[in-house]
Amino acid sequence: MRETRRLCTLKTHLLLAALLYWACAVFLYPVPAAAVEGFVEGAYGYRTQRDVTKKDSFNLLEARAQLKGVYEPPVFEALSPEADLKAELIADGYDDRLILKVREAALAFTPLDFIDVKLGRQILTWGTGDYIFINDLFPKDYVSFFIGRDDEYLKVPSDALRVSLFTEAVNLDMVLIPVMEPDISVIGKRLSFFDGLSGQVLGEDAARVFIEPREIAENMELAFRAYRTIGRMEAALYLFRGFYKEPRGILDGAKSEFFYPRLHVIGMSLRGPVLGGIGNFELGYYDSREDRGGGNPMIENPSIKYLAGYTQDLGSDASIGFQYEVEQMLHHGAYRDGLAPGASVRDEFRHLLTMRFTKLYSGQTVVTSLFVFFSPSDMDAYLRPGVSYKVTDSWKVTAGANIILGRDEFTDFGTFRRNDNLYMRVRYSF
Amino acid sequence: MMKKIFLPMLLLLIIPSLSYALTADEIVERSNLAYYYAGDDGRADLNMRITDRRGRVRIREMTLLRKDIKDGGRQKFYVYFKKPSDVSRMVFMVWKQVKGDDDRWLYIPAIDLVKRIASSDKRSSFAGGVFTYEDVSGRRTSDDTHELLDDEQYNGKAVYVVKNSPKDTGEVEFSYYIARIDKKTFLPVKGEYYDKSGKLYRTISVDKTGLVDGIPTVLQATAENLSRGMKTTIEFKDVAYNVGIKERIFRERYLRRPPKEVKR
Repeated sequence: MRETRRLCTLKTHLLLAALLYWACAVFLYPVPAAAVEGFVEGAYGYRTQRDVTKKDSFNLLEARAQLKGVYEPPVFEALSPEADLKAELIADGYDDRLILKVREAALAFTPLDFIDVKLGRQILTWGTGDYIFINDLFPKDYVSFFIGRDDEYLKVPSDALRVSLFTEAVNLDMVLIPVMEPDISVIGKRLSFFDGLSGQVLGEDAARVFIEPREIAENMELAFRAYRTIGRMEAALYLFRGFYKEPRGILDGAKSEFFYPRLHVIGMSLRGPVLGGIGNFELGYYDSREDRGGGNPMIENPSIKYLAGYTQDLGSDASIGFQYEVEQMLHHGAYRDGLAPGASVRDEFRHLLTMRFTKLYSGQTVVTSLFVFFSPSDMDAYLRPGVSYKVTDSWKVTAGANIILGRDEFTDFGTFRRNDNLYMRVRYSF
Repeated sequence: MMKKIFLPMLLLLIIPSLSYALTADEIVERSNLAYYYAGDDGRADLNMRITDRRGRVRIREMTLLRKDIKDGGRQKFYVYFKKPSDVSRMVFMVWKQVKGDDDRWLYIPAIDLVKRIASSDKRSSFAGGVFTYEDVSGRRTSDDTHELLDDEQYNGKAVYVVKNSPKDTGEVEFSYYIARIDKKTFLPVKGEYYDKSGKLYRTISVDKTGLVDGIPTVLQATAENLSRGMKTTIEFKDVAYNVGIKERIFRERYLRRPPKEVKR
C-alpha cells in the first residue's frame, strides 16, 4: 500500500535524477578506475517460537547481491567530484519477490576549499551512542536489526543534501531532507508485536496504516550539527526539525491509523579519552510539537534522553563497552490524566543499560561479540550474541541469535518477545 | 634530516673508535627518527601479506599518510584501506601522543560511522597480521631501557646490537627485545622478541631498503610469530617524503572524503 502510493513521489524523482547523473557521468567519461566491488550473500533466520506471523518457522530467507562503485568524473576537477553508487538485488524468500534497492546514489564535491557538498541518496550517521540514537534522527531499519541482517542495514539511506562547512573554530553540517523517510518499523510481517489498541499480539493479520507527512516544503526535514575538538575531547551540538521516525501518533485507533508527529530536537554530545578508555555523553531534548503540554495520550509526550557510555580495550583483542540511557517523559502527570481508565501506564523514567563485549581470535579472522540491552525499569532485555569467521579474504560466515525477553508485553522490547531467532549468513565478497 | 645521518657517518669513517661514543639511548633515538620520522611527512602504499600456520594467505592493501608534528614526538597517521573489498574505503586514523594513550578513529563508510576506538593495548595486531600497532607507528623510546650489547657484522652490514627492556613489564607481552640497527642508516635490520620465559617467539626482519628522495627507507619487512607459525610481509610502494601533507587532513572531514594524497 505504502509502496504503491510512493511510486511517483518527489523522492523517486530525486533518486532518478541522481541515477541519471551517475549513468551520464560513467558513459560520457568512461574511466577504468571506476572500480566495482560487492558481494553475494545468502541469509537464513530460523524462528525458535511459534507465532502469528506469515511464515512461522523463519523470518529471514534471502539471497542478496550488492554492487558498489566510486567514480571520479574527469570534469571540474578543481571541485573533486565523486559519484558513489551502491545497489542491491535481493531475492526475498519470505515474501517471494525480487527487489532492487539503491542504497547510495550521490554526488560529492568541494565547491570551495572549506565546503563539502553531498547530494543524493546517502547514509547519514552522527552522534556517540552504540545502537542507541539520540541526536541521529536519520532513518533506521529495526526489522533488519531484529532478524539478523548485517549491521549495515540498520541504517536506511536518506535522499538528502548535505552541506558541510569547515573552519578553525567550528565545523558545521547541514542536512536537508526534502521528503521525510521514516524508520522501517515492525508491522507484523516478519516480526509480531503487542498491539496496545487491541490488547493482543498481532502478526500477519495486523493492518496498521502509517500516514506519512505530505510532501510539501513545510514538511522538509532539517538537521544541523556543529562540532569541534577541544583538546582531545570531541564536542557537538545538534538541532533537528522534522518528525518522529516512528509513528508515535494515533490518528484513528479504530482504523489502526498512525502518523508521524512533528518533532524538534536540540542536543549535545561529548566524546573523548576517560580513565584509559573512551567515554561519551549525549543528551537530547525531544520537543514533541503536536503535544507540547503532554496531555494528549494519542501523541508522544515531550522527553529528554540522556546517555553515558564507556568503552575499554581489555588487551588481547578484547574490548568491553557499557552504556546507560535514561529517557524522561516530561509531562507525566498530564499524560496520566489524559489516559483512559484501565489503560497501561508508561513510567516517567525509562532506564536502559547496554553492554557490548567483543573478542577476536585467530589473527582477527574470528569475531565473537555479545550485545545486551537491559531495561531495569521495563524489566525487558534484548540479547545479540554473534560470531563471524572470515574463512578467506572473500568468504565470510556469520551466525548469531536475537533473543528478546520481557516481563510485560507492552514494553519496548517486551512487545517483540515472541520473535527469537537464530540466523546464519554466508557472504562472498569481490 | 640529511645532516643527522651524514654527520655520524663521517665520524664513523674518520674516527672509528668514536662510534662507541654513541650511547645505547642515542642509537635508539636516532633509529626511531630514521625509521618513523623520515622527512616531515610521508606517504606509502602498503601491501600486506599474512600467511598463517596452514599456509593460507590473506592480502591487505592500504595507503598510509603520515605527518610529523614534532620530530621524535607527536605524529598523525591516516590509513586508507583498499583491499580486501569488504574493508575498502575504511579509514583508520591515529594521533600518536607523547604521553598517555594515542587517539584512534575508525571510519566505516557503509554506515557513515566515525568510531572512536579505545586504544590502551598497543601490542595488539595491526590489521590481523603479526605486526603490532607499535611496530607500525613506533614504540616510545622512553618506554624501554636500552643497553648496547655489541656491534657486529650482520648480513653484510655493520650493526649495533641493542637490548631493549620494558620499564613496565605488565604492559607488554615480551620480556625484552634485541634490535640490530644499521650503523650507516640507523634503520632497524632485525628485531628479536623474547617472551617471559626467555624464549624467542617473534622476529621482525627488514628484507629490503633503498633510498627514497635521498632518505634511507625500509621497502619491505617481515614479521614472524614463531610460536603461532604466522608470518606477515609488508611491502612499501610508491614511498614519498615531504609531499606537503597538511595537518588538517587528519580530521573527520577527510575520513568521509579521502584526500587526493591517497588516490594517486
